[in-house]
Amino acid sequence: MKRSSKFGSAVAIAAALAVVATGCSATSSGDQGKPDSPVTITFWGSYGNGGNSTQQDALNKTLIPAFEKANPNITVKYVDIPYDDMLKKLTTSAAGDELPDLVRADLGWVPQFADLGVLVPLSDAMSDFKKLADATYPGSLSTNLYKGKYYGLPLDTNTRVLITDQKALDAAGMTAPPATFDDLKAMAAKLKGTGMSVFADSGLGAWNISPWIWSGGGAITNDKLTKSTGYLDSDKSVAAVQMLVDFYKEGLIPNLIIGNQGATGTSDGLPGGKYATILDGPWMQGIWSGQYPDFKPIYAPMPAGPGGSISVVGGEDIVMTASSKHQDAAMKFIRFTQTEQFQIEMVKTGQMTIIPAFADQEAGIAAYYSTFATQLKSAKARLAIPQASKVDTILSTELTPAFKGEISVKDALSKAAAQIDQLLAGN
Amino acid sequence: MTTLTTGESVTGRAVGLPTTARPALRGRNHSGRRFRSGLTPYLFLAPGVILFAVMIIYPMVQAVQMSFFDWKIVGSATSQFLGLDNYIRAFNDPHFWLSLTNSGIYMLFTVPPQIILGLMVALLLKKKSPTQPFFRVLFYLPVVTSWVVVSLLFKYLFADSGLINFTLGDFLHLTNGDTSWLAERWTALVAICALGVWKGIGWSMMIFLAGLQSVPQELEEAATVDGANRWQRFKAVTLPAIWPAMLFVVVMLVIGGFNVFTSVLLMTGGGPGGQTDVVLTYMYQQAFSFLDFGYGSALAVILTLIVFVITVIQLRLFRDRSGESLA
Repeated sequence: MKRSSKFGSAVAIAAALAVVATGCSATSSGDQGKPDSPVTITFWGSYGNGGNSTQQDALNKTLIPAFEKANPNITVKYVDIPYDDMLKKLTTSAAGDELPDLVRADLGWVPQFADLGVLVPLSDAMSDFKKLADATYPGSLSTNLYKGKYYGLPLDTNTRVLITDQKALDAAGMTAPPATFDDLKAMAAKLKGTGMSVFADSGLGAWNISPWIWSGGGAITNDKLTKSTGYLDSDKSVAAVQMLVDFYKEGLIPNLIIGNQGATGTSDGLPGGKYATILDGPWMQGIWSGQYPDFKPIYAPMPAGPGGSISVVGGEDIVMTASSKHQDAAMKFIRFTQTEQFQIEMVKTGQMTIIPAFADQEAGIAAYYSTFATQLKSAKARLAIPQASKVDTILSTELTPAFKGEISVKDALSKAAAQIDQLLAGN
Repeated sequence: MTTLTTGESVTGRAVGLPTTARPALRGRNHSGRRFRSGLTPYLFLAPGVILFAVMIIYPMVQAVQMSFFDWKIVGSATSQFLGLDNYIRAFNDPHFWLSLTNSGIYMLFTVPPQIILGLMVALLLKKKSPTQPFFRVLFYLPVVTSWVVVSLLFKYLFADSGLINFTLGDFLHLTNGDTSWLAERWTALVAICALGVWKGIGWSMMIFLAGLQSVPQELEEAATVDGANRWQRFKAVTLPAIWPAMLFVVVMLVIGGFNVFTSVLLMTGGGPGGQTDVVLTYMYQQAFSFLDFGYGSALAVILTLIVFVITVIQLRLFRDRSGESLA
């Protein structure tokens, strides 16, 4: 009896420990076997974001089975993680040393995680890296560069182009979308008093403001990423932002741009006739075809300023983690993502290819892709530094008062540049 | 919160079990019995306590530790010891002060309405009537609804073309109906506070309703006989009786006020230009967007200390006050 009571206590302790331990032991037990023994690689991505199952289906039902057929010893396990949770999940997983083998990372995160030391520089690890890299758009590739090494390869890409519709052009008495800053100013003059904004955007981060600064002939920093003062607050940068601020003051840009979460979003405002133009990506087509089936968007290049028509590169990169136990298998899958089969299958689901050689094939799948593909040839990437999200905060915090007229654009950009200088000095 | 609940239920069971097991043990040798009755409850307490220690105490200690470092989240990287640098940085960071002010404003403008309105509703719903359960549920419903859902709901209510603007403009003709509530610091804080009050009334109502059960009926009647009017009865009889409930409500609401997070994150995201950031959204941004866990932890520790000091002051004030009312 005594023994059984002790036994009971032991069970209680064991149960307690088990309860606690299960909470902490999500570690995947990697099968570290011989090179040709079966391995499973885990791949995290956000293909299913927004409840869109077509991309996940293409991956799970077509592409991964094709890869597994060609590589019978490798099983690829794709885990879909909502985009909004991804950064948090990656961060906590990095802390717990529980990262997957491969991650489809937003391109802004690559330097951030490279800086943490959790990624493998592919330019060192892959003997054929140069060949693969040379085939991609330079703007997309550059998002993988951190301290002289490439930590990933582009997976899919996008950029922002000007989107308008016939209703807006008619309201402004124009026959074609505004091709230059001057056209846009003329359009603004025509739209004054009509209640239709000439342009709308949902923020003042680098993604939003860079195309205007670059097309205006300005820059965020110097090419070496060491200095922002003298670039972000140069006359050309100031003039480009000033144009937007002037529109804003005349009520021709809605306060959505300074972060009013209660304003009509760009995806509703353009089809709804509230906004004449927006800058947005290729995914909008899919959103509109569901919500506004009668809406016919017109895609045009970013209006050209003194610096040309230069937009911003978006998209995702594929990266391999340093903790991966099956790096050879993971690199095989990375190579597979760069093939025509993978790229074109994803184009069909709304992801743009990162390989210019497939651009014609892409335009054949959907004609509107061609405007984006052309824009991508000159598009630039945002700053590839670990603190890229801080740059976004700095830009929107400093520019908001400039739009509200509390401070001059020059002063706002100088203040932002001084803070970005500090970030760059820390690298 | 979940951990606490688990702990409580385990504790409850642990207390119950030895007594029911006792008859079977009767007549056994004494030292074994003492051993069992002495140790067994603790063993049953253990899961809850261990969970609490691992999930609450350990992260708290770790956060304090992190706040003294330039903390690298990856185990292999060395974190640099900074001493009090993160705290000094917070002290000199105008945005931290802005966010603390916003948290304070939220607390000041949500706690009193929740107490006053919660108490009023509780008094109204104290009397038995056929509709009373219905109204109790109605007022309590916002409390059990997810913060995410109601935050999004309020975001749409206060949107430029939302119901609030429609009511104020097209219906009541008090404004032009074009107020961008979420585009300015003060109007956005109004919207966020409105949500806080609306969602919180039901909770304080529930606590006050429980407190009102302890109001001695004979005292009420005696006061009525003595000619006391409603207000006098409330002040002299009801209020002293529900004083412990009041203390609990005030302390919890103040703590909750400083901990405002979800509604701000979802309604304004701290915008425009960070003007509506509260301490926790700022902390979240530092830790999870900028991966600056050291600074984020320092902000968390500072907030904890502020809340702790305020709570101690409240407890003292209430203790003095309750002594006074009893005297």
